[in-house]
Amino acid sequence: MKIRFTAILLLSTFLFTAKAQDHLLIQSDYANNLFNSKQYYDAITEYKRLQFFDSTKTFNYEINYKIGECYKAGAKYDDAVKYFSFAELSARNEDEHFDSKTQIIRTNILRRTTDRALQLCDELEKDQRFNGKSDQINYWRGWAFILADNWEYAAKSFAKINSNHELKILAEQTDKAKVSVTFAKVISYILPGAGAIYSGKILSGLMSIGWNLLSGYWTVNSFIEDRVFDGVVVAELVWLRFYRGAIQNAEEFALEKNLEVSNKSLRYLQNEYKGIKP
Amino acid sequence: MKTKTNKRFIVAFFFLIVLLNTANCQLPTAGNIFSPQNRLQFGNFLYKDRDYLRAAEEFKEYLKNESNDTIVFRLANSYFKIGLFTEAVDNFKGLFFGSQLSEEARLLFYETIFFRNDYKSLRELADEKNYSSSKFAKEIERLKYMSYFFDNSALPDENLVLKNFPDTVQSRLVNFYQQKKFPQHKSPTTAAILSTFIPGAGKIYTGEVGDGITSLIATALTTYLAVTNFNADHQFRGWLFSGLAAFFYAGNIYGSAASAQIYNARIQFNFNKEVKLFFEQRNYFLPKIDY
Repeated sequence: MKIRFTAILLLSTFLFTAKAQDHLLIQSDYANNLFNSKQYYDAITEYKRLQFFDSTKTFNYEINYKIGECYKAGAKYDDAVKYFSFAELSARNEDEHFDSKTQIIRTNILRRTTDRALQLCDELEKDQRFNGKSDQINYWRGWAFILADNWEYAAKSFAKINSNHELKILAEQTDKAKVSVTFAKVISYILPGAGAIYSGKILSGLMSIGWNLLSGYWTVNSFIEDRVFDGVVVAELVWLRFYRGAIQNAEEFALEKNLEVSNKSLRYLQNEYKGIKP
Repeated sequence: MKTKTNKRFIVAFFFLIVLLNTANCQLPTAGNIFSPQNRLQFGNFLYKDRDYLRAAEEFKEYLKNESNDTIVFRLANSYFKIGLFTEAVDNFKGLFFGSQLSEEARLLFYETIFFRNDYKSLRELADEKNYSSSKFAKEIERLKYMSYFFDNSALPDENLVLKNFPDTVQSRLVNFYQQKKFPQHKSPTTAAILSTFIPGAGKIYTGEVGDGITSLIATALTTYLAVTNFNADHQFRGWLFSGLAAFFYAGNIYGSAASAQIYNARIQFNFNKEVKLFFEQRNYFLPKIDY
């Protein structure tokens, strides 16, 4: 009698729980379908509904992770980090912990909080549980450097994964294609316009040389004709203006050139690179 | 004996099934997760979580099947919080008559009109007293007088404005009132005329002393250079510096007028910012209402 009663009780409890779980599974599928069809706003609503009714917290990790992904896709990075952090807290094993943490890193890379991304990479690297995942850590560290426009360090990070890594080669090429801003300024001090020519702005550089020669001639000519005040004023208002302008231009052109080089590589990464992106 | 045991077993079994089914029906996940009651529970959760946009959607669905003044209030308040002021006004209006939340709805109705920056309508509605509230009459009156600081309407009498506010803020409000009524603007025409006679004087008048002196020196120097070059028979350089002098002179007149306009805009911007911050820090002297 007791055995039969216990069996029925267990069976009923099981069916009771299973029925509730069934509804949650249907809701989970519904939310996942919305997520897969990129309806992120609606997906968040349904994931939140699932979370609200999931009294046993069975789906907690998946829900938080997915909500984080939805916010990330909608460029709501602060909210995304919040939900990935919740996912990290509800992680049931090391893989889930690692995945949620890397998502936080990736979101930090996207919202350009590079220092935080690098700090999290260091934390993961020091964590002995993830000793076998150094390639992934270095991969995201490399991406953090890319988005921070530090291609030299990005190349070094990717080189730790593989010396022939596609992104290592790209980062090296980008770094080499860039010009030195300091060098552009220094050669402009010696020959005004040279920095602009070095940065690829040949016409502007030649014009700069021309203006400096002309204003220099006017200054010298004024002194030769004993018009000292004229000479001083022309030197200050005209010649020095062009001289300083050439140095400022050299800096601007060098920065512009570097930006073009970086943007070209970033466009390649955005449109043609097939690997995982932040 | 065996029949008696079986009977007891059947009764216990039957009782257990009934109990479990009843419990199952009480679960939120039982039946339709999108049932009105479940939507209400979820909506309330979102509302408390300040996810007002989603909460409004849940409340709207719930209200298609059920009638509940508190939820209508929450729906209206959700719309208000997310800046859907027209929808908020419509829903608050629905609670004006025959509802226990009528007084609160009336105050929030005026608040909504205030926060959608429709100050003229707010004052008209407050004067008409069609939707006046006995409980929050003072707050509505205060909102009305507060609105004068936020638009360009003519200010009413100082005492009328001040009497609605607590003593502790009277001196600040007198200050705001005077600034609003007699703004210390600079005239662009005066600035331009001053610069016509003395280059740079217009800029100095608008507070840009450094710019004014630089303009004076630049105009004087280029004029001097033009004269000396003409005297030395350097025609090209003479004309070049003449052009530069004319450019500096004309540019300075235009710049002085622009500087006066920028000065006025800055004064206005700073005043608006200060007033907004002052009222914001005091929650616009409004009570906190939430249901």
